Amino acid sequence: MGKIFDVQFMFDSIPSILTGIPKSLAIALFAFTLGIFIGFIGAISKIYRIPVLERITTVYVSFIRGTPLLVQILLIYYGIPIIVRIINQKFGTQFDLSRIPAIVFMFAAFSLNAGAYLTETIRSAIQAVDKGQTEAAYSVGMTPVQAMVRIVIPQALKVGLPNFANFFIGMLKDTSLAFVASVTEIMGQAKIIAGRASRFFEAYIVAAVIYWIICILFEQMMRKLEARLRKSEKGVSS
Amino acid sequence: MIEVKNIHKSFGDTKVLKGVNLVVKEGQTVALIGSSGSGKSTLLRCINLLEMPDEGTVSIGDFAFDAKGINRKIRQETRRRTAMVFQGFYLFENKTALGNVTEALLVVQKKPKPEAIEIGLACLKKVGMLDKKDHYPTALSGGQKQRVAIARAFALSPKIILFDEPTSALDPELVQEVLNVIKKAAEEKVTMLIVTHEMNFARDVADKIAFMDDGRILETADSKDFFLSPKHEQTKQFLALYGMPTTFRRRFSMI
Repeated sequence: MGKIFDVQFMFDSIPSILTGIPKSLAIALFAFTLGIFIGFIGAISKIYRIPVLERITTVYVSFIRGTPLLVQILLIYYGIPIIVRIINQKFGTQFDLSRIPAIVFMFAAFSLNAGAYLTETIRSAIQAVDKGQTEAAYSVGMTPVQAMVRIVIPQALKVGLPNFANFFIGMLKDTSLAFVASVTEIMGQAKIIAGRASRFFEAYIVAAVIYWIICILFEQMMRKLEARLRKSEKGVSS
Repeated sequence: MIEVKNIHKSFGDTKVLKGVNLVVKEGQTVALIGSSGSGKSTLLRCINLLEMPDEGTVSIGDFAFDAKGINRKIRQETRRRTAMVFQGFYLFENKTALGNVTEALLVVQKKPKPEAIEIGLACLKKVGMLDKKDHYPTALSGGQKQRVAIARAFALSPKIILFDEPTSALDPELVQEVLNVIKKAAEEKVTMLIVTHEMNFARDVADKIAFMDDGRILETADSKDFFLSPKHEQTKQFLALYGMPTTFRRRFSMI
């Protein structure tokens, strides 16, 4: 002991903190994918004012946006097992959750969270596409689904891409909250390593740098994708 | 032949169409004129069901619908028999000029790709836009966009092409190139119904003029007769506003 700041420990801890990356990415990617799906359904039910779905979407979005993600995670993590136990008791079923890894609960929590935010992002992206585009698609005989898939969504994607990318980066960083459910993602690993040696600052610096690098890489990927999607703005296809 | 019978349409409490009757024969070009708010555009949009008429019938060749029984299938069938050219062009922003023209051929008419491209290129050539086939709409001028939009309509080989003020959003120097394309189509006997404020164009190109006023068609006549001897007072006033020959005639007769 004695060193106030242990540089050697910091470097030594890198490999084991790196092992948390797959779990962080898994949560973020899974939640983003399912969130896009939920968000699309939510956006469509809001845009087309689908009777019951619209109401459900409004309450769902309001609840998720009005409560902290950390609270949502804990509600799911502690709530689902209790609900399952109640179901087992009521219906005599034998669902056993003890074998389900904690990360699955995180998939659920983060997906629900992403779905709500993406509902609004997707809705605004779709509505940013000129109504004339849809009318033109109808006028040449396309069905509403064809018009949506072939004309509106490709344009909405271009409009919404920066927002989607921002949201993904935000969520990737939020996956650090999964450690409260003892998921060993980047932050969870850092906490474990740090606890063993009581060297918290060193381990958290490593965690911070890892998040930072991942985000930089992702931002660069997005920049390339955006350039590709914007090819129609350059004017001529090659 | 396209026949519109007794079409009514209201938006809320505002009655926009109050029983419109109109016939466009095959190969005919009909110009629909009238002041703003008289219901011209709404009538057009009720024919291809971008708006749902409240009452009346429309027949397009051997296909007909009644406003009372419109469903998804009828909407689809109607739109497959018509094409529309919009004031605001509305080219698909995510498609090239050629992609705009071939899109519906591929996904609506389910034509094989080589055939769709062949038709697409032919239609672009007809409007003089072949050299811009790989350009996206953002790289085209208003006049060029509208010519591509007209090519998109040609490609569908519809029973009728509906033009909703095709030159109103264009800079003055770009109007003529679009009008020339429409004129050529009229000479080739494409069936067209054109809402326009270009009176000289209407007189020179259309076979028939229909004058709309306050949700009704007040007067229809062959284009030559229409401008020389308008019957209704409203028609005369309207034409006077545009400085059309009828006013000259009256001035001469006064001398």
